[in-house]
Amino acid sequence: MSKSYRDGLPISPENFVDQLMRLKRGSIGRRDFLGLTGLGIATAVMAREIGIMPTSAFAAESLGDRMSIATWPNYHDPATFENFKKDTGVAVEVNVFGSNEEMLAKLQAGASGWSLFVPTNYTISTYKKLGIIEPLEMARLPNFDGSQEDPRFTGEGTIEGVTYAVPKNWGTTGFAVNTKKLTKPMTSWKEFWDTAMAEGDSRTMVHDYQLTTIGNALKYYGYSFNSLKPDELAKAEELLLKVKPHLFAVSSDYQPGMRAGDAWMTMCWTNDGAQLHRDIPEIAYVLGKEGGEIWTDFYAIPKDAPNKPAGYALLNYLMNPQVAVKEHLANGAPSTDARVNKLLPKEVLDNPILYPAADLLTPLEFGAAATLTDPGRAELMARFKSA
Amino acid sequence: MLLGPATAWLVVFLVLPFIAIAVFSVGERAPEGGYQAAFTFAQYANLPARATAFWNTMVLAPVGALACLLVAYPVAYYLALRAPQRWRLILLALVVIPFWTSLLMRTYAWMYVLGGRGIPALLAYIGFEDIRLINTPGAVLLGIVYGYLPLMILPIYVSLERLDRRLLEASADLGATPLSTFLGVTLKLSLPGVMTGFSLVMILLLGEYLIPTLLGGGKVFFIGNGLVDLFLQSRNWPFGSAIAITLVLVSVVVLIAANRISTRVSGARRVDLI
Amino acid sequence: MTAVPDIEFRGVTKRYGAVTAVSGIDLAVPPSAFVALLGPSGCGKTTCLRMIGGFEQPSEGQVFIRGQDMAGTPPYRRPVNMVFQQYALFPHLDVEDNVAYGLRQARPRLSAREIASRAGEALEMVRLAGYGRRKIHELSGGQQQRVALARALVNKPAVLLLDEPLAALDKKLRTDMQIELQNLQREIGITFVLVTHDQEEALSMSDFVCVMNGGRIVQLGQPSEIYDEPADLFVADFVGKTNLLSGTVAGHSGDLVEVALADGTVIAARKRTALRQGEAVSVSLRPESLSLGARTSGPFKGIVRNRIFLGSTAEYAIEVQGIGTLLAKADHLIGHGNLFKPGEPVAIGFASGTPLAFAETKNNGANQRVEKHVEIIS
Repeated sequence: MSKSYRDGLPISPENFVDQLMRLKRGSIGRRDFLGLTGLGIATAVMAREIGIMPTSAFAAESLGDRMSIATWPNYHDPATFENFKKDTGVAVEVNVFGSNEEMLAKLQAGASGWSLFVPTNYTISTYKKLGIIEPLEMARLPNFDGSQEDPRFTGEGTIEGVTYAVPKNWGTTGFAVNTKKLTKPMTSWKEFWDTAMAEGDSRTMVHDYQLTTIGNALKYYGYSFNSLKPDELAKAEELLLKVKPHLFAVSSDYQPGMRAGDAWMTMCWTNDGAQLHRDIPEIAYVLGKEGGEIWTDFYAIPKDAPNKPAGYALLNYLMNPQVAVKEHLANGAPSTDARVNKLLPKEVLDNPILYPAADLLTPLEFGAAATLTDPGRAELMARFKSA
Repeated sequence: MLLGPATAWLVVFLVLPFIAIAVFSVGERAPEGGYQAAFTFAQYANLPARATAFWNTMVLAPVGALACLLVAYPVAYYLALRAPQRWRLILLALVVIPFWTSLLMRTYAWMYVLGGRGIPALLAYIGFEDIRLINTPGAVLLGIVYGYLPLMILPIYVSLERLDRRLLEASADLGATPLSTFLGVTLKLSLPGVMTGFSLVMILLLGEYLIPTLLGGGKVFFIGNGLVDLFLQSRNWPFGSAIAITLVLVSVVVLIAANRISTRVSGARRVDLI
Repeated sequence: MTAVPDIEFRGVTKRYGAVTAVSGIDLAVPPSAFVALLGPSGCGKTTCLRMIGGFEQPSEGQVFIRGQDMAGTPPYRRPVNMVFQQYALFPHLDVEDNVAYGLRQARPRLSAREIASRAGEALEMVRLAGYGRRKIHELSGGQQQRVALARALVNKPAVLLLDEPLAALDKKLRTDMQIELQNLQREIGITFVLVTHDQEEALSMSDFVCVMNGGRIVQLGQPSEIYDEPADLFVADFVGKTNLLSGTVAGHSGDLVEVALADGTVIAARKRTALRQGEAVSVSLRPESLSLGARTSGPFKGIVRNRIFLGSTAEYAIEVQGIGTLLAKADHLIGHGNLFKPGEPVAIGFASGTPLAFAETKNNGANQRVEKHVEIIS
């Protein structure tokens, strides 16, 4: 009794404050949401075009006393930066972003001020092409041990033999299901989409992100997640338009809806899936057996980083397995580094959400740069959203 | 000739960005996204690709502004003409204070109020299970009315507060019932405030994307959403710029129309928006 | 009284919280009269007018219009119309629409043609024919005043209420409008109730003057009565110019009372109330009741200190030893050269009438409180 009187009540005050704090930290959904507040970017873009703001190429060999990093919400152990400051005297300013595109836009606009940032695999080649990312001087990263990294996850950081980025962690894109509301077991993207139009009607969420939403719609027909073929995309569009009226939301901020019980099923990234399952055990995380996305987040240094020495110093610090393991425990995404995995408790390694069985991982595809920047897919997404 | 600070301000924050956007709008999307120099009207020719978004916005903006007006007018009327003098400032402050918190915060609060652990949980308590309020058109309308209410109340309040009370007595004296006094005098003389509030809210709604996204689940696509996607997702800056320019032109037309209407109906008074 | 009064107040009191604005008023206004409610600001006259108009409800008592108890009747159902202070014309309507406003409220509805023709007549009546399409702000003060009149009269009210209608006009225009209003009232034949603080205006225009002070009626009468036979010291002082001399009752002789003034002079005066031997009194001497002459034998002798020549008359300020300065007014007879110069000694006598003696009553201060309140409501 003493426990249960609150169960049926609306959100508790503490919970509400938690959520607001979460909002304040900018962690409303990982990739998408900050786009809502990211219009400042337009100003930055214009400032560059007009030439108001100087683009700083300042670099001194001392570490200085401050640097800034661009990363994802809830992606680090705050103690990491505190300790780094204690060790080096460099204060780290953390900028959190909602999407890779937003990061890219900001960096492309220039004068971002970052000395380190966390791009996802499929953007690295674009950064390289645009020439706004630094080839890494591996000598300055003694803590990084390439031999301990799973090559499946590290490959896209290296282009034509030059390493531009080193991996932080990896993850998958599957879907989360509230198994109390949708009791039929599901294992495939086909079931995801079909259920969305049946038992999951008006309770299903898809990402506000063309890469995954279109990619997973392509999976319904067994096409490649990265397909750019017009006929295959046409089929995916047909499916998306058919599902649209049945959806609860098109949003990458799916945790609140799932937690409140308004949404019963959603496309979901590994770390969110792990968090949801941890807090609400009936929410399961499913990888579609047809495949889908696998991803790696990397660390990279912008070419115009104002404090490269500090950027390297922090990156090297983060590559220390003792530090990285704390990072992993904080954000919940699986590590690419065998040294880190050795330090992890068994129950983490045994968690199938974080470390799925090999046969489920095999069909997964990395998102491709071309998939992300394809104007045709962007327009398809716009048509879907405006339908 | 010296540029006044106001002029300099206008040039830096209004004219230059506008020119930049105009230049972008006749350019091309670079292969990796962003902008590359060109001179083409292809972006404008492509505007029909966002026709639905424009249409949704053209419906949302006036309907939202109207809903806002319907709620705001009685409040402003009460504040200006009925509330006891000593309460007036306090009540007015209560209207304005929520505005000190960001719209994002307040809209997010509504997400929780309307979400499954908010009002629906209360309804479930009294026996109405599985009622969904969030991500419905009603939730979007509620969010819009809530978010923009002060912007609508204040100009109407000001015009009603300025209203010469003796005109109301004169009207009653001449045989007009309270209703016809309201229609024939109060409403008409507060029209500058109504039009100011209406055009202000409507113009802001033309660019609105946050409330439909948060409270409507992003299922309805407005031109504001289109802009965000084009600048921050697909990074098609030229097309986004073309849409932005179009939106600015539409806003200007709305402003001029509002000014015309209000000037015509309420005599010589003008709406001073900026 | 045989005819039903147009307006009747029976025991009307109006309180605003602790403040009493109007207290226990009884008043009957006969049909077709031009009545002025006269008093200093805050005396309750505007409150009375607003109770007739229906904008205020009496706290006690009843207001009747043509025999009908108006309790609970809102302004828009009362057969009276008002010309407001500063006119309260509708700024969003042109002249004709302002005038036609009342006609448009009539139920059953009047035809457009009738509205237009009656509005036209009303404008003609106030000599504004052809101004129908003008905007209000394009008119002069006097023209606005006449639009307000036309707007009120077009509804053919039983009673026209005028709230300080001339206060905003300059003096020349005011005088013209006074005559115009008087003519209008005679022409139309309905009752006009005028509220004013200007005694000259009240005396010159109205058939009856109702002098108010401190929320009460202190005197009601024809203008000449009010002027010649003021009911008390307040009226004597407020209406017209007068010299008030302090003294004490020295004795009685028949109906008259003998008053010893400060300098020892004893003059005979009429009285309004019984006065006790030795009671402090003020004696009112109208300036025009005094006569001046080098040889005139009179109670006072003084020296001319100032002279204001007004054409047909001249006003003198004369310093009288032991009394103070007296104001005297003398007719100027052309060719007689009867003007006194400053510095000249004069003898002052009584030319006409007998002075009036009033008991000195202290004003209780209620005035000021009411005044404050009325500012708020107007």
